[in-house]
Parts: sequence; structure tokens; C-alpha cells
Amino acid sequence: MPAKGSSAALLYTAISLAAALLFLAATYATRKPYPLLARLGGAAWVFLLSMIITMPLVISRAARRHGSPPPS
Amino acid sequence: MTKQVSLPVEGMSCASCAARVEKALKAVPGVKNAAVNLAAQKASVEYDPQQATVADLARAVLELGYRVPAEEISFSVRGMRCAACAARVEKALAQLPGVCEAAVSLPAEAARVSFYPGTVTPAQIKAVVRELGYEVAEREGAGEALDRESLARREEIRQQARNMLIAWPLSLLVMLGMFRDAHPLFLWALTTPVVAVAGRQFFVQSIKGLKKGVTDMNLLYATGIGAAYLIATINAIWPQAGFGGRGATFFESAALLTAFIVLGRYLEALTRGRTSEAIRRLLQLQPRRARVLRNDREVEIPADEVIPGDLILVRPGESIPVDGRVVEGHSAVDESMLTGESIPVEKKPGDEVIAGTVNRTGFFKFVATRVGKDTVLAQITRLVEEAQATKAPVQKLADFVAGHFIAGIHVLALAVFLFWFFYGYEAFFRPDSRFILSPYGLAEVGVFGFALLLSVSTLVISCPCALGLATPSAMIAGTGKGAENGILFKEAVAVEGLASVQVVLFDKTGTVTRGEPSLTDAVPAAGFSQDELLRLAATAEKGTEHPLGKAISRGAEAAGLAAEEPEEFEAVPGHGVKARHRGRTILVGNRRLLEREGVPLTPLLQDAEELERDGKTAMLVAVDGKPAGVIGVADTIREEAPQAIARLKEMGLRVMMITGDNRRTAAAVARQAGIAEVLAEVLPQDKAREVRRLQAEGYRVAMVGDGINDAPALAAADVGVAIGAGTDIAKETGSVILIRSDLRDVVSAVEIGRATMRKVRQNLAWAFLYNSLGIPVAAGAFYPSTGLLVSPELAALFMALSSISVTANALLLKRFVPTFKKGR
Repeated sequence: MPAKGSSAALLYTAISLAAALLFLAATYATRKPYPLLARLGGAAWVFLLSMIITMPLVISRAARRHGSPPPS
Repeated sequence: MTKQVSLPVEGMSCASCAARVEKALKAVPGVKNAAVNLAAQKASVEYDPQQATVADLARAVLELGYRVPAEEISFSVRGMRCAACAARVEKALAQLPGVCEAAVSLPAEAARVSFYPGTVTPAQIKAVVRELGYEVAEREGAGEALDRESLARREEIRQQARNMLIAWPLSLLVMLGMFRDAHPLFLWALTTPVVAVAGRQFFVQSIKGLKKGVTDMNLLYATGIGAAYLIATINAIWPQAGFGGRGATFFESAALLTAFIVLGRYLEALTRGRTSEAIRRLLQLQPRRARVLRNDREVEIPADEVIPGDLILVRPGESIPVDGRVVEGHSAVDESMLTGESIPVEKKPGDEVIAGTVNRTGFFKFVATRVGKDTVLAQITRLVEEAQATKAPVQKLADFVAGHFIAGIHVLALAVFLFWFFYGYEAFFRPDSRFILSPYGLAEVGVFGFALLLSVSTLVISCPCALGLATPSAMIAGTGKGAENGILFKEAVAVEGLASVQVVLFDKTGTVTRGEPSLTDAVPAAGFSQDELLRLAATAEKGTEHPLGKAISRGAEAAGLAAEEPEEFEAVPGHGVKARHRGRTILVGNRRLLEREGVPLTPLLQDAEELERDGKTAMLVAVDGKPAGVIGVADTIREEAPQAIARLKEMGLRVMMITGDNRRTAAAVARQAGIAEVLAEVLPQDKAREVRRLQAEGYRVAMVGDGINDAPALAAADVGVAIGAGTDIAKETGSVILIRSDLRDVVSAVEIGRATMRKVRQNLAWAFLYNSLGIPVAAGAFYPSTGLLVSPELAALFMALSSISVTANALLLKRFVPTFKKGR
């Protein structure tokens, strides 16, 4: 079901983006002199790992809600 | 949203049963409506899947004492790469409404699903697996499976070998280049094909999985390789980017990481195939061609075209293509590959021959009785395959961990990254930092590069491959070892169960004893010799169908005494026989027969009583009204029984015997066999109750008996061992089937079970130890005190070694020889 798939994709992307932004904010909040690329690279890494972590969880939950067997 | 299912219900005999079931179903929370059709034995239920499951419905019916019969399907699942893949398929199957049990085996590439018919169809079950991106195929016949399996294995080995040919030379060049301070762009040019060609598989498979929202080991590898390669590339092209500059390019990390993972995959493909060698060997036993006599002409046809009734010719050295019965000729047939019996078995007209066994000496013809999937060989192969697709309870923890590990590892990698980025680097970074087993300094690495390195190493080292392979690789080797010795474990739970039993309960008749009476004693009275007594008794019994009479005839024949045909013969029901031969009247029977005929009993009574004290049946013999002697007949114990029972005791097991016979006979048999504890006068239907009584006392019980007659007791026991299945494997109940009637195989089965579980425990301990030590080391737990880090490529090497060591340890089971097979 595309609706189910796209809403799940939207959700895990949003969560991962939020995690990456949170990371970026934290690099400034700590007031340490991190190079810009370390901040951006770190945010990208956090985004990637967050996507990998949240993707199966969100898809599985969405599948359960729609009454079909989850893929994982 | 409600769903409707039609649940089969067995055991309802009247309308009130149907009403009870209906009421119970309606009482399940979430059930909107339930209607039971007594005639169809079906319950149609409308329920809300958010509130109730099919399992809840089945439980409600089962609690009333009715049955909800489940069906089972097995199919091949191809494309699974790791334990997480298998766990994912299993989880998806188990979550399907109507599925009561699902077991997926990675090494066997097989799924076995129990489901309630009417609630879900086999097509829906298979569709779920396909949706996950795996290929579903029917379980094939022996030949096809062999072809397909060996082809797939060869292809995987070939593919990984090709990847190694690319990855290793280039990785070594990259490492050499790093030592020689080669230009980073040159190193980039060398590393790129390693990552893009040899490492491509990980990226492709990860993307495939991610598209479906699933993660597996490939993602771990892809993330690790990708991150190392990306950082190295950025540092090479843009040294001022702040990732450590040209002093921290780590091309060797990206290249060697790929090379080690590919090496791991290659070795895994090699060893994974070997653990299921038993199946392959069984499949290879099946001859492809048969020499058949049709229209009086000898023609060679494919073995699968033989039909029951075909007359087949077998020459010395040839394999027997199908099961059948010998009609002409004599030979000795080597059945060791199926029964474990090393001595060739003599075959004469009327004897059965089994497909896959080898004709050694003579030429014979036989009539095909069972062909294709019905042959004993096909049944054994199917049983072993099915057993290897099941899971032992010990595997559950490992599966749970492996199944949830991927997400957990990424969480861990994230935590490691955040720790070292925000705190660890500033607090602990030392300019003399370097990788373990590497001369490189990491002085120039910046905070991001440092945190990322530790994060990537944690990702790679945490891979739960070893954990996922620990139990199934040992189980496959163990069940294979069993099959090699004529011991068929129907499921992995039987291997685990047999390893932990405390009581072995033997049925007497047909198990400890041969199950048919034989002559044991011939005690002549004054005036008669032993031979004369035996010859006269055998003459009187000539032609009788009574088992005791037949035992005397066989005994006389074995002693080389020729029994002649009596002139007159009369069977006296409940007493014995009366015959006339050469003018003499011979009586053979019990006391009542001799009393009835007026023969004085006194001279024979003492001997008769002595025999009876030993549990034998005393047959009194009189000739012309004079006592001639006493003949003892008994169901003799198997000659190997004392030896087998002594060994079981040595192994610390409590050995008991159960029988419906009287206490005196039972005690005599038990004494000869060396069994101290006897449960006598137990009716067949009460044997299962005795098993449950022992279980209630806290013992884990293995029941050894005839698979057909002792079915309830075998089913009640923790492990049921059916002995002497021969060619009737399909009829047997027990969870362990011994093809031969040899009690020493019970010992071998327990020994194999214990050896297998030893390997499982060693493997699990190693896998858990590896992960629990490897993860903190890779995460930098020792860095503050040592300044040493695990490089991603070293993490990959450790990861590959852990998987390989677990599989190799399981392979050591091949060298295991049961006690009684040593020197045979």
C-alpha cells in the first residue's frame, strides 16, 4: 500500500532528521570549537544511523496498524 | 475492522459439544460472532484482529478438550544471508494469523510452518516470505535438490572467490602504499574497485532490504565500508575538510575491511555446505539409473521412471535403485550407509532390499515395491532435512539476540559515536594513539574521524553471525552424524532432549528381548539323551504354528537335529500337542497335558520349577507314558543388551524396564540384561501413565520401545526412541528412530545427543564471549589506558574468525565416533 509506505517513510525520515538536527544543535550548545565539517559529518552519520534504527521499527508498526504482517 | 476465519474443530460428537465450543469462542474478547457446524467440524468466527488472534480462538477450543488440527508445510527459502534474515522470515511467518509455529533454518535454507487450515493458506504463507525479498521454492526430490544445492553453493563460492581475487591483491597494495607514503589519489584508485566491485554485494543487498524496511548484516558491512571509504576519499581529495587530513586517509581500512568480510563470506560458504554433508551424502546414494527387465529385454532407464512391480537386475558393485523384494539370486548387500551396520547383509529370495545400498557379491533380481519419494532412502533424507529445519529450545535465546541485534548494534554505534564526539575525544585523546597490530599513528585524526572510526569498528565487530550459526551448525552436524549411524532424529528438540535425559525406560518385549521365544534349555529325564529329547519334541511339534512349538523346531534345527514328520498329530488347545511317530506316542505341553494323559510328573517337577524361576516357559515331554524331560523356552534378551545397558549406567543414567509381563518373568529378563529397576504387570495403555509418573518425580525420561505398539508411551516421554524401524520409518512415532534393532544404537544416540549439545554450548559460549569482549574493545573501553584502538579491518577479521570458528567447531563432530562404533 503506497499510502502506508509513504507515511512510514515520512515518519522515519522526520525522526532521523530531528536526531541529526539535535546533534547539530548539541555541537553548538557545548560551545566547543568543532570544525564545521565535523559538525556536518557528525550530523550526517547520526542521520544515517537513525534512519537504519527507526526504519524497521516504523515500518513494522505501520504494518501492524494496517493489519498486515510486518516485514520484520 | 473484523476478520472471518473458519477454524477446524475435531472431537465434537453432539450438538451440545458444538454449543459449548460456540459459547467458548463467543466468550473470547474481540469475537463478534461464532457459529459451529457440527457436521463439517468447523467453527466460523468473526473477530477483531486488534483484540483477538487465531491462537486465542484455538486456545479457547483446546481448553474445552477438543482438537484444532494443524497442518504443516515445508518449503525452501533462498537468499537468506545471515541469522537475522532467518529470524526476520520466522518472525513474519509467526505473526501471520493462523500460523501456530514457524521454524526457519538458515543453513538448511528451509521453512517449516504449522498452521490452522481455513485461517491462512499455504499461498499466503509463501507470499509473506516473497514480500520480504526471498525466493520461495517447493522442496524438491532428492536428485533435483542435490543439483540445485551444489550449483548454488558452487556459484556462491565462485562469486566470493572472484571478489577475493579483486579485494586481496589490491588491499595489500593499498597497505604497502600506506607504508611507502604513496599519493592518496593513487591509494584511492586502488581502493575504489575493492569497495565498488568486491564490496558491491553488501550495498546492493542493503539497499534491497532497506527498500522493504528491513535490516541485516549486509547493512552493517555496507555502513562500515561506506563510512571508511567516504572519509578516506574526502581526506584524500579535500585534506582541509577537518576529517584528519592526508595523515588519516584510512584507505587500507576500507580496502582490508572489505577483503576480510569477503574472506569471511567465502569461508562461510565453504563450511556451511559441509555441515549439511549428511544430506548431500544421502542424496548422492540415490542411483540415477536402473536396469529393468521389460518385455524380456534388459533396458536401462532413469531410476525415477521405475514403477512398482518392475523387475530390476542388480550386478555386483551396483547400487540398488529403488526399494524392492528379491525374487531370484543371492548376494550380500552393504547397507552401512543407511543403517550404520558395517557387515554386508545376506539377501535371498523374499528378502527386502533398500534403494541406495550397494550389492557386493552376487547377481540378483528384485521386484520394485517402493519408488521415488516412497523409498526408505527418500524418507530418511526427508526426515533428516526436516530435523535440520527445526530448532532446539536452546536456540531461542540466540535467535532472539541475533534477530534484535542489528538495530541494537546501530544504537550502540550511535552511542559510541556520540560519546567519543562530545566527551571521549577531548578527555582521552592521546597523540600516540594507534591501531592494534598496526604501526600507524593516529595523531592527525580529528574528533569526527576518531569518533567515526570507533563507531565503525563497533558496528563491524558486533555482527552476530557467530551467534546465529552456533546452534544450527552443530545441530546439522549432529543430526547428520546420527543419520550416518542409522539414528534418525526427527527434530532438533530430540537431540537436546536426549542429551539431558536422566531415565532411560526400556520396553521389554521386542526391545530388551527379541520379541519371539527361543529354545533355551533341554533337560532330559533318566533314560533319554538331550539330543533324543530335543529330536522327539521337534518331531511332535513339526508343522505346528504355535510360537512355543516353532521355538522348539528352530532350536532343534540349530542344533543340527532333523525332525521327522509325525504319523499322527493332535493339537490339544491350552495344553500342548500329542503325536505318534514310529509307533511311539509323544506328548509335549504343560503339566495339565501330562496329568490328563496319566504321566507321572514328579521326576520332571524340580527341573520345570527351576526353569520357571528364571522366567522361562517349561514344556514337559513324555514318550509312551514315561517322562522324557523338560524343555525351556523363553523370549531371550538381545545379546548386546547387557553391554548397552552397562554403558548407559556408566553414563550416569537410571535404566528401567517396563512390561506387561508377570513380575517373575520380568525380573528374570531384567537380571540377565543388568537392569535393576523393573515396572512389571503394566498394561499397554498404562505405560504412558508410568512415564508421566516418572516425569512428575522430576525426571526427564527417554522411552525406548517399538514405535508402533508403544506409541502412547513414546509420545508421553521427553524423548521417544523407536527401535528397529527397518524399512517402516514412516509408521514410527518416536522423535528418534533407530533403523536397526540394536540396543547399542540407543547408547550411540545419547552419545551423539550429548556430543552435539557440547558443541552447541561451546559455540554459544564462544559467540557470546566474542561479542561481549569484542564490543567494549572496539568501542574504545581500553583506549584511555592503552592508547590502542581496534581498526575496522581488524574488527572484520575478528568477526570473520568468530563465524568460521563456530562452524569449524561444529564440523569437528564429524570426527566423533560413538563408543560402540569404535573398532567396528
